[in-house]
Amino acid sequence: MEQHSQQFKENAANALADAGGVAQRDILALFTPIMRDAAVAEFGPYEALRQHVKRVRQHSLDNLDYYLARFELEATNNGNQVHYADSADEMNSIVLDICQQHGARKVAKGKSMVTEETGLNDYLQRGGLQVMETDLGEYIVQQAGETPSHIVGPALHKTRDQIRELFLDKHDLGERELESISDLVGEARVVLRDHFLQAEVGIIGSNALIAENGYSMLVTNEGNGDLCANLPNVLIICTTLDRVLPRAEDATAIQRLLVRSATGQPHTCYTSFYSGPRRAEDADGPLETHIILLDNHRTDILASDYSDMLRCIRCGSCLNHCPIFAATGGHAYGWVYPGPMGSVLTPLLTSLEASAALPNACTSCGRCAEVCPSAIPLPDMLRDLRHEQSVEKITPASWRQGLRLHAWLACRPGLYQFLTGIGIAVMHRIGRKKGGFRSLPLAGGWTSKRDFPSPQGKTFMQQYRQRSRSNEQ
Amino acid sequence: MSSESRARIMARVRSSCAGNDAATIERELAGLGVAPAAQAPHEDSCVTFMVNVLRNQGTLDVAADRSTAVKLIGNYLYQHYRSHRLVAGNDPRLAAMPWRDGGVLPRFGEIEEGEQIALSYARWGLAETGATVFFTGKRNPSRNNLLPEHHLVLVDADTLLPDLESLWREVNTAIANGSRPRGIHCIAGPSSTGDIEGQIVYGAHGPRAWHVILMGNVSPEQQEAARALHAGKTGPAPA
Repeated sequence: MEQHSQQFKENAANALADAGGVAQRDILALFTPIMRDAAVAEFGPYEALRQHVKRVRQHSLDNLDYYLARFELEATNNGNQVHYADSADEMNSIVLDICQQHGARKVAKGKSMVTEETGLNDYLQRGGLQVMETDLGEYIVQQAGETPSHIVGPALHKTRDQIRELFLDKHDLGERELESISDLVGEARVVLRDHFLQAEVGIIGSNALIAENGYSMLVTNEGNGDLCANLPNVLIICTTLDRVLPRAEDATAIQRLLVRSATGQPHTCYTSFYSGPRRAEDADGPLETHIILLDNHRTDILASDYSDMLRCIRCGSCLNHCPIFAATGGHAYGWVYPGPMGSVLTPLLTSLEASAALPNACTSCGRCAEVCPSAIPLPDMLRDLRHEQSVEKITPASWRQGLRLHAWLACRPGLYQFLTGIGIAVMHRIGRKKGGFRSLPLAGGWTSKRDFPSPQGKTFMQQYRQRSRSNEQ
Repeated sequence: MSSESRARIMARVRSSCAGNDAATIERELAGLGVAPAAQAPHEDSCVTFMVNVLRNQGTLDVAADRSTAVKLIGNYLYQHYRSHRLVAGNDPRLAAMPWRDGGVLPRFGEIEEGEQIALSYARWGLAETGATVFFTGKRNPSRNNLLPEHHLVLVDADTLLPDLESLWREVNTAIANGSRPRGIHCIAGPSSTGDIEGQIVYGAHGPRAWHVILMGNVSPEQQEAARALHAGKTGPAPA
C-alpha cells in the first residue's frame, strides 16, 4: 500500500475541516470506550487476564524459534503447505503463483490488515484476477476506491447516504430505494453470495496460530471469513510469524481479550479453528490449504527495543481511545495502521523518515497504554521514536536546537525557575487586562487556533514554595 | 524462494531468541498457568448457557425428549416458512430423530441453492459464550452452518461445557484419538455486522436467525432463572 504519512498534518487539517466527519468521529470516540468499559467490567478478573496474556505473548516471542518450528511441523502434518515470505512483494508473488497454478479467476477475500500492508489486491488484479473483499466494511471501501480508516471498522468514516449512493452506482440492480442500513446490508449480502459460490480461491487472515496442533484461529461476526475458508477449493491464510502462540488455550485467552477490547462484545458470532485441507471423510472444505508467514521487518522489530509491539493483537482499542485519532480519523495517518499502534508500527515497518509526523501525533495522555489488552507501553515507544528522530536529525534543526536549550535549562533548576519566574511575571503584567494573548513569539502554532491564557502571576514552583512555607507556619 | 526466505527468517528469529531447550521452554510455559474465564451470570452452567444464547440474539426452545424436540422444530418451520422441510447433515443422531412426530420432512446432505433452513446437531454447548460447537465433516457440513437463512441447532443438555478451556480439553482428546477435525466452528448467534454507522444488523452473510433447541433434563426453574437473568432480573435459584 502506498504511504502518505508525510502528509499527516495536511491530511489532519482536511479531516478537521469536514464538519460531518468530525461529528461522526466524535460519536464513535464517545461510544466505543463506553462499550469496551462495560465489557471489561462484566468480565470480572480482566486485569489478571491481561497480565496473563502479556506473559504468554512475551514467552512466545522470547521462544519464537521453538514455537514457529513447532507450528510449521504441525501445520505441515495437517496437510497445509507452509510458506515464508521475507517481504510484501514475496507474499504477493506466492499468492499469485498459487492462484495461477489453479487457473483461478475469482478470489474471495476475508478481512486482513496484513494483505492491506502488502497491497495484495492491486497485485492480484494486475495479475488478471478478480478480487472481491467480503467483509462488509472492506467491501464498501474497495468499491469506493478508498482504504480502511480503522483496523476493525474499515468503513466507519462513511455515512449510510454515502454508501447508498455508492451501491446505487456500483450495483446494476435497477430501481430501488435502499432506505435503511438493513437494505444496504441485504444488498451486499446478495451481491457477495454469488461471489462466494463462484470463487476458486479464498484468502483470509488469522487471529492466532496454535503451535501445539497447527490450527489457525479466525474471529468474525459476519461469517464472511468462514465462507472464504470453506467454500472455495483453495484456501490461502496470509498472516505474520508473530501470531504464533503455544497452546489452544492461549488462543482462547486472546479471544477473550480481543473481542471485548475491539467491539465491546463478550465474543463474536463466529470463532473458528482450521487445521488444513478437506480429508476423504469430509463433506466440504478446501482441497488445498496454504499458510503464508510474512516477516516484512518483524524480525527486525523482534531484535529491537520495540519488540513489545509484536504483542499487539490488532483490537483497535488504542485507536478508539486516542484523542488524535478521534480528531483526524484513520486516513490522516497515510498508511495501513492508524492511531497509536500505527504511529509506532508504521515507522518500524516502513521508515522513520517516511513516517516522521506519526510519533509526534500524540498528546502523551496515556489512554492507549491504559486500555491496551497486551499492556504495550505505546506512549513510551512514541517518545523513543521521537528521540530517535532527533538523534538521526530527522526532526527540524530549529526544533532540535530548542529542545537542546530546554534540556540545558532543565538541568539547571535554579536558573530554569528564575527565568520562568521572570517570563510568567512579564506575561501576567502584559496580559492580565485582556486575560489572554492572541499572538506570542515562538508560539504561533498555538495562537493560530486559540488564545493563550494569561498566567496568574506566579509559577507552579513559586506557589508550591509559598504554600509549603504557610503550612510550616 | 520460500525455502531461502525460511532460512533467512529463521536465522534472524533464532538470533533474537533466548535459545532455550525444549524442556526449559515447556517448563516455563507450564509455570504461566491458565487464563481466568469470564465470571458467569449463574453458577449453573445450564442456566449460563441459556442466558448467553439469548444474549447472543439467539432464540431458544427446551425439549425434554426427542419427540418434543421434533415437534418444536416442526412448529418453528411452520411459523417462519409455512413449510415442513429442512436440510440436515448426515449425522446418525439426526437420522434417528422421530421426524413424523413433528411432521418434519428432512433432507440429509449439504444445503443447496433455494434451501432456507438447515439443522445441525452440536457436539457441545459452551456455557461461557453461549456458543454451539461443531466439528466440520460429513455429519456437519460447514455450508449447513453458514449458508442457510435460519440455522437450527440441537444441543444435548448433558454435553454442555463450562468454559473454553474445558472445550479444548475435549478437542485435544479427540485429536489424540486420531479424530482431528478440519474445522471447529463455535457459533454464538446469527451472522451480524456493525460496519455501517456502527448499527448492528443481523444476517450479514450467514444465517439471519439462530435457533437453539436444548434437549434433555432442564427444569422449569432453570429455564425461569435464565429468562429472568436475560431480562435483567435475578432469577430464582435452580432446583
